[in-house]
Amino acid sequence: MSTPARPHRSIFEPPAIGQMSLATKIVLYSVLIGWSLFVLFPVYWLLITSFKEATAVNEGPFFIPWVDFQPSLHAWKELFVIDYADTLRAYFNSIIISLAATALSVLVGSMAAYALSRVEYAPNLITILFFVALLALVAVSVGVWGIDWRLAAAVGVALFFFLARAVGNLYQVRLQNGDILFWIISQRILAPIVVVVPIYMMFQSVRMLDTHLAIILTYTVVNMPIVVWLMYDFFNSIPRDLEESAQLDGATMIGIFREIVLPLSRAGLAATTLLVMILSWNEYLLALFLSTSRAQTMPILVAAMNAGERGILWWTMSVAIIVMIIPVVVLAVILQKYISKGLLVGAVKG
Amino acid sequence: MPNQTEETRGTTKTISIRDLNKFYGSFHALKDFSIDVEAGEFLVLLGPSGCGKSTALRMIAGLESISSGTLQIGEQDATNVLPKYRDIAMVFQSYALYPHKTVAENIGFPLKVAKTPKAEMDAAVRAAAEQVELGELLDRLPGQLSGGQRQRVALARAIIRRPSVFLMDEPLSNLDAKLRGNMRAELKRMQSELGITTIYVTHDQIEAMTLAHRVAIMKDGELQQLATPKEVYSQPANLFVAGFMGSPPMNFLEGGVVNGEFGTEESRFALPGAPDTAHAVVGFRPEDCTLVAPGAGLVDARVYTVEMTGDLVLVTLELGGAHLVVKMDKDFEIDTDVTAGIAVQPDNLFLFDGNSGDRVDWTGPRS
Repeated sequence: MSTPARPHRSIFEPPAIGQMSLATKIVLYSVLIGWSLFVLFPVYWLLITSFKEATAVNEGPFFIPWVDFQPSLHAWKELFVIDYADTLRAYFNSIIISLAATALSVLVGSMAAYALSRVEYAPNLITILFFVALLALVAVSVGVWGIDWRLAAAVGVALFFFLARAVGNLYQVRLQNGDILFWIISQRILAPIVVVVPIYMMFQSVRMLDTHLAIILTYTVVNMPIVVWLMYDFFNSIPRDLEESAQLDGATMIGIFREIVLPLSRAGLAATTLLVMILSWNEYLLALFLSTSRAQTMPILVAAMNAGERGILWWTMSVAIIVMIIPVVVLAVILQKYISKGLLVGAVKG
Repeated sequence: MPNQTEETRGTTKTISIRDLNKFYGSFHALKDFSIDVEAGEFLVLLGPSGCGKSTALRMIAGLESISSGTLQIGEQDATNVLPKYRDIAMVFQSYALYPHKTVAENIGFPLKVAKTPKAEMDAAVRAAAEQVELGELLDRLPGQLSGGQRQRVALARAIIRRPSVFLMDEPLSNLDAKLRGNMRAELKRMQSELGITTIYVTHDQIEAMTLAHRVAIMKDGELQQLATPKEVYSQPANLFVAGFMGSPPMNFLEGGVVNGEFGTEESRFALPGAPDTAHAVVGFRPEDCTLVAPGAGLVDARVYTVEMTGDLVLVTLELGGAHLVVKMDKDFEIDTDVTAGIAVQPDNLFLFDGNSGDRVDWTGPRS
């Protein structure tokens, strides 16, 4: 054997492939191949189903094209030639909405996370309670008692400042960054189904149903907690010394963010972007409520295919799902090189 | 060096600190801290962890706000000035190198943010790298360097723009013992060549003694003594300083003084001229005393352990509850559990007030 056996090998370090016995190799590779087949089979099934005629699906199962069944392009034609307008609209809707919602939530969320990790906040609990109470009061007075909203808002703002100044300083119970962070993530604990009806009514009242903006804003808000949570942890792992050193060397706030913080958070930003993008891309429930036709996204289009008068259209559904997978895979491949470990090696100590 | 050093930069400055205070909520981290640092001086802030020395340094840098008091750098009142306008360079304990930038980019960063022309910057980077002997490593990333090399990069980044003040926060504490000794010597040499006012924070008394023009010893946010290393060692202001400086630290005996005689529960000896007090502490350094036959010295004590360190023998003796250490020659031999006398020259005895801890200027046998 060319490589000498190392005197010490930790328990969890597997032996090199070359040092395994044949039996071990066979077992190892069978397990790996078996698992790969298990994982890849649905994708394969999707791919062949997209080329099947209705009869080939209904009389199946058939597994091998040209042997079991004769592949046809009819489903692809239906989606991209006959109904191309609907398909492409849903496709571009999905792309626009996911990209915009991802960009917005990562931009705003990471700024919030950076602030939470670097600045110590101490908001007064009483002031916050005043704000919430007055907000409710204004809402009720406009909605129930029919007071002019401008008047109600003006009185509410005036009352808030008066109460905050007069009473706020008497009670010094203050929240800390941890409380703010928990409050933000708690927004995600709530299942979307709980808030979907109020959100629907809200957008209905401002006549924004079935618009891109409504879905983008909703996705942004829904994904923001995840961005804040992940990026907070990530920014915390960047040593503060680096920023302080740059500060002393004369760099501006913007300069520090651009030269030091941003390059070092690339991995975190890439991972977060990918996650949020996938969540937005696959989101179904909120889109179902907020869109009807113009702003319809891919998941809705796919779901609609099993509810038509022609029965479940497995073949067109498969085509739609395949084209839906592609952008996410492309994005994952692009971002993968940024998601590397060890970026902070050498920053501090040894 | 770049032309910009001519007018504003490179002129080393005095630092005047007046009644500096720092509060974190109700915690009083720094108490009425006042020091005048001369231009070109190497001042060391020394103290155990949590004594406020790093807080003081960070306040001078502008990384912590000043709760009260004033800070003057040169002619400028810097109390509320942003860090970047203070013309200060700081070396952090962690080195704070930018891991995604090469050594050259790290060293050149202060010039880059000052928008120095490229050619001028490259020349300055090379010169600074030469000065700390990093010439061949300019294209490496910090992650590919050893601890000592990272330390040098941090130093080069600090010296490149010739600041008027250097601040160093335990810069050598992450290095191994041998490297630390080398870097200490280099640091001292570099500071005296550049002649830049330097404030250096450490908990290591050897670093303080060897590097400093003056040492400021701190405890619990308060300045205990500000003096030259020699003075701090030979005329400690109080019990804390006496016990902190020296290795092993000073021996202490607690007791009282009556009619020029110092007495503990176990023994008594003459301290002619010492003022009467009910509670006093007598101190003497391990290197200032020797072991003699029982009864022939100041006090008698039982030998507790004998440690051979190579160049000398440390004998620890037990008297009452206290341990006393005596430094003896390397070929000295004695058994444990035997009784021996400890002899001290009278002018090597320090007397401290037992209540305040302050050293009593006792002009008896001294003078």
